[in-house]
Parts: sequence; C-alpha cells; structure tokens
Amino acid sequence: MTAAELLAEYGDHVFDEIDLDIEADSLVGFATACGETHPRFVDPDDADFQGVPNYLTRIHGTRTLPKGFPVDMERCFDAGKSIEVHQPVRPGDHVTGRSEIHDIYEKSGRSGTMLFIVHRMNFYNQRGDALATVDWRLVQREFD
Amino acid sequence: MSQPAEKRFEDVEFGEDLPEVDVDVRLETGKVFAHATLNLAPRVTDHEAAKAAGLPGAIVPGIMSQGILVAAIHAWAPNARVLNVDTIFRAPLIVDSKPVAKGVVTDIDDETKVIEVDLTLQNEKGETPVVGTAKITL
Repeated sequence: MTAAELLAEYGDHVFDEIDLDIEADSLVGFATACGETHPRFVDPDDADFQGVPNYLTRIHGTRTLPKGFPVDMERCFDAGKSIEVHQPVRPGDHVTGRSEIHDIYEKSGRSGTMLFIVHRMNFYNQRGDALATVDWRLVQREFD
Repeated sequence: MSQPAEKRFEDVEFGEDLPEVDVDVRLETGKVFAHATLNLAPRVTDHEAAKAAGLPGAIVPGIMSQGILVAAIHAWAPNARVLNVDTIFRAPLIVDSKPVAKGVVTDIDDETKVIEVDLTLQNEKGETPVVGTAKITL
C-alpha cells in the first residue's frame, strides 16, 4: 500500500483511548530528573504546582498503531516527538488520551524510501478541557 | 533554590544565546525519571542490558531529552510559558555521558509576542543527538 492508501484506510479516527490519574510524585520526579528547579514544577506545595510542559509525552496508549496496520516494527525507529501545550496538567487531574493516525507520508533519499507515520494523542482532563496534543513520528526504513 | 531573574519580552534579542547547561544524565538520575514515568526498561536503566541489546550503553529516553531542553529554557527564563516543543532524535544520548544543552533565539514576533528558540543537546564529541525547536511567551 502507498502512504496515501494507508492514510485513507487508517487515518482520521480514534483507535485507542487511555485514562490516567496524575500524581504529584510523578510530576516531581519527571521535572527533577530533567533538571527543573522552579517551585511550580518541583514543589507540590507551590500554589501554581503543575507538570512540566512535556509531561504528557510519557503517556502511551494501549497500542502503538491501529489493529492490522501493516508495519514492520523491526525496521522502525522513533524519529521525534512534538507537543503543543494547551494548558498545564496538575496533580489530581484525571487525564484521557485518545490516539489517532494524524498523517502518513514517504520520503526518499540515498538510503531508499522511508515511511513516516505521525501518531497523534490528544489529551483532556476530567472537565473535558484540552491539555495537550502530542505527535510522535515513527519511521519505517526500506519502505516499499 | 534561587531562580534566575524573570525575563521580559523587551529584553530578549534575536540571536541571543541561552546559557549553556551541563546536563545530568547519570544512571541515578535516569532511574528517577524511569520511576516517574514507569518506564523501567533495562535499556534505560542498565548499561550491560543495553549493550546486550546492541546499544553503546543505557540510553536517555527521548522524552527526558526533550524535558532537559525545556528545562534549559526555564534556566534562562524561569517565567517562560512553553507553547510547543518539537524534538528530533538523531542518535541515542548515552547515560553517564556529559552532554550540554544549548539554545539560541531564532525568531521574535513583535505582534504575537511569541519567541522561537532552537535547542540542541551536544555530547562530548561535539555531536548533537537531539535537536529541537520551541515556541514560548514570557
């Protein structure tokens, strides 16, 4: 299948959903390991205590790709991750993450053709407020 | 811990370098991250297990590298609000190496007050296994 055919078949629908309760210890551990020192990230007693901007990137769904998606994970690597932050995540939040295939495209170069799969997770809190959008670029080498 | 002074939009200059940050990616620190994220995979917590899997050593998780770059922004501007950050993982960053986080202001939008910063993690060999871009407001 071509990238366009894959996108037409697997894109544009939520294929996985996961829920997670946000705990202060996890927020502090993530922040301190990354070198944050500001009280709003490392002190649960701070009035504005919150997760670091990319905290929600740690949450994965129950599956990486939709059921039946034809990809050889042995030839795949993680090419990068982006996060758009809509509002801070805070302890006590009950977060829902919904996964979809946002984009699929090919790139060709000297080493052959690679398939880029953009896995998107949209995160919401218990009030339904959008918290963040995380795009994970998964690349399969030697795509044909 | 004392914080650097808050940054004002008016004080930021195009091409301004962020202060370089010596990054802590010791195994102990990686384990703190691993427990916080419930990612206890041996490839991030155990050098020997990582080598057995064909890696040069235990690797720093990509999202920890991303968090380190975000922390470098806050080390420069503690009041920065990160709107988005995009990172590319070019090569593994090895646990117990001594990387440096660097950044430079690459765009300032006077209308929206959004500042763009290019970010890199550089290892001892001068290689940049992780690069990124962030948009922030102050």
